[in-house]
Amino acid sequence: MEDSVIPFFEKTLQRIPSSSLKSILSEWGFLSAEQLQDLHFQQSKHILHNKVLAFCEENGMRIRHVIQLDMIYNHEYPNKRNWSVYQFSGREDDAVVLNMTEFSQKFKVNLKDLLRHVSIGMKKCEDDAVWIRVAWGDNFTKPNQFKPTYVVYQLQTPYVFISNLNVKHRPLLSQALVIATKHDEIKEIQLRGRCLKSLKDLVLRRYKQSFQTHQPKPLQERNSPERDQGIVHEHAKRLADLKEVATQTFGDGPLPKLETAVFKLETKFKDPENRILTNRPEPFRCAVKFSSPSFLESLKSLVTLGVASAPVSPLLSSIPQKARNHFVISERGPGVPSTPGP
Amino acid sequence: MEGSQSRGTPSNMNFTPKRAPNNLYRSYGTGAGLTSVRKGKLTSLKLPTSREVPKARDLSEKDPEQISKLTEKNWNLYYVTPLYKFLYTGLKSYSRQLSAFIVAEKQKGIAVEVGLETNFKVNFSIIQGLTEIEEDAEAVFIQICSKPKFATEATAETVVWSGWLSCVNCNTEYLSSLPPEFTCLPLFCANGAETMTALVTTWFQRTFDCNFGPLRIGSNSLCWLAAMWTGCEPEMGIRYLKLSWSLPCSPPLNVSFTVHPGDAWELWRSIRQDQVRMTIEEVDQFMSCIESHFFRHFKIHLSAGELIDVSTSLGSAHRDGKIKLMSSHYMSGILTLLTESAFVMMPI
Repeated sequence: MEDSVIPFFEKTLQRIPSSSLKSILSEWGFLSAEQLQDLHFQQSKHILHNKVLAFCEENGMRIRHVIQLDMIYNHEYPNKRNWSVYQFSGREDDAVVLNMTEFSQKFKVNLKDLLRHVSIGMKKCEDDAVWIRVAWGDNFTKPNQFKPTYVVYQLQTPYVFISNLNVKHRPLLSQALVIATKHDEIKEIQLRGRCLKSLKDLVLRRYKQSFQTHQPKPLQERNSPERDQGIVHEHAKRLADLKEVATQTFGDGPLPKLETAVFKLETKFKDPENRILTNRPEPFRCAVKFSSPSFLESLKSLVTLGVASAPVSPLLSSIPQKARNHFVISERGPGVPSTPGP
Repeated sequence: MEGSQSRGTPSNMNFTPKRAPNNLYRSYGTGAGLTSVRKGKLTSLKLPTSREVPKARDLSEKDPEQISKLTEKNWNLYYVTPLYKFLYTGLKSYSRQLSAFIVAEKQKGIAVEVGLETNFKVNFSIIQGLTEIEEDAEAVFIQICSKPKFATEATAETVVWSGWLSCVNCNTEYLSSLPPEFTCLPLFCANGAETMTALVTTWFQRTFDCNFGPLRIGSNSLCWLAAMWTGCEPEMGIRYLKLSWSLPCSPPLNVSFTVHPGDAWELWRSIRQDQVRMTIEEVDQFMSCIESHFFRHFKIHLSAGELIDVSTSLGSAHRDGKIKLMSSHYMSGILTLLTESAFVMMPI
């Protein structure tokens, strides 16, 4: 067995959580049924891994087998990676069904033409996505299997999700993708996150909520007989109102999971009340970064607490509406309010 | 207590020290008839509402080697009550005593995380140039190095822990109420393993009958630091002003706001009135402007959250009592502010 296979295999194996080791090894199909039966999955990780390694050596495992295993793991646990979203342009109809063989051939040939040492894995998955794994070398060194780029091309859409792509390799990958899919070009859109499903939901507009920016249904209209019953009821009513506003704006269901939202602001500073920095023509340059395990959930929670005003600011509602989470806001940009703060 | 409108809950105000206060200190209070100490004179301790604008004075002029040990390191902050019978002439002896204490504790089985076969060398020294007024006690620097037991003379020692005690622009009112046997060095900074910090503070507590406690940096102080550092832009260049808030929603949201240094300076300059002094009202207005610029765009009230971190290329400070100083210029203004916070924690 090649020298480089073992460390690559061990690293890949170590990442797999014990709970899913059995299912992933079964899906991999490289070990025979008897060998799988021989494994005791309750044993210590160390002993178990050694046994698996022994079986693999017996079966004559090669790099391409480990690549398959790595791809299965990443397909199962995509949220361990940071994904950037890219969009194709220039083709008439993305809904046309792609010829997988043709695509695969064109992509591999093109990439190998540009770079002598590159290792490519490709797999079509049931959710209509093509998973591509690229390990990069250069004209003199073998591909580095430890830092591969992952590409998920969502078929019948112009969207591609890419993880761990070096600036150096970007033009090579872009060219191969564009040629293989018969598009004109591919561009990165300003949407990034860990949750692949949420990113897909956002670009494919599967998140139905409108995120309205106009005043929601007036709440004062409701006749409330409790109004005279003291502060306790007023407070409860206020909380209920806020909750309703939050639900109207964000909907009831689960929100797409985004970990960050970044806004680069190049707007003027305005403070008519105190005349600070008045008539200053230059913009007040700053950058705002929101971080949270799920930014949209946090935002909904802030509305419920009354900390964020509803209707939600148009800058924030741009996130699901435009399926972006990185923005540059200039004076002419969308939704910059002309009225000063609180 | 902190001048005009407070910016969020000053959490360090509510901290009560776990141990009983300094016994010797108390007995001096009652026995020696210094009733002023017991009469709650300390409760009138206020954080200033105005301070001098920091000037770009390089503190490392007097003692560049020592001062360089203070910069570019992450320090954890503590307050410490006055030290009883601490002598500057005894530094060599303290070095030996602390070293012996560490060895003894290690043999008892108290982990020091550095490995079994190491020798520790402790060195107490003075840092010159940090004191601002006559009443300030000279700062003391403690360094702990380790060397593998069977290493040769040539093997380099590694610094495993460092710490320093200082008092910059002390509260003279408080100091005048202290009996002369006490040395007041209320600000303690530590860098290194927590287990080692615990050993050092334990030794100090036993030897000088004092108490240590964590020193958090309140929101008010963080705002002062933001304004002070912004003021350094024209002379030294801060490269950026970054402020971080934590908002109490579920899941919790962190908001970081980074301002272009020139624009931050323009904003601060248009608020400032006096050349020499800056006031809490000006600081409040500065922060309020930033918060309202944010609100204009995002309709979120940052004031409902807590300011937890301020940083520029000159240094950074975190609410949990962590500070990093990148430059020896402007140090005195920052240390003055931290010394004030430490004084507020002195038990009555």
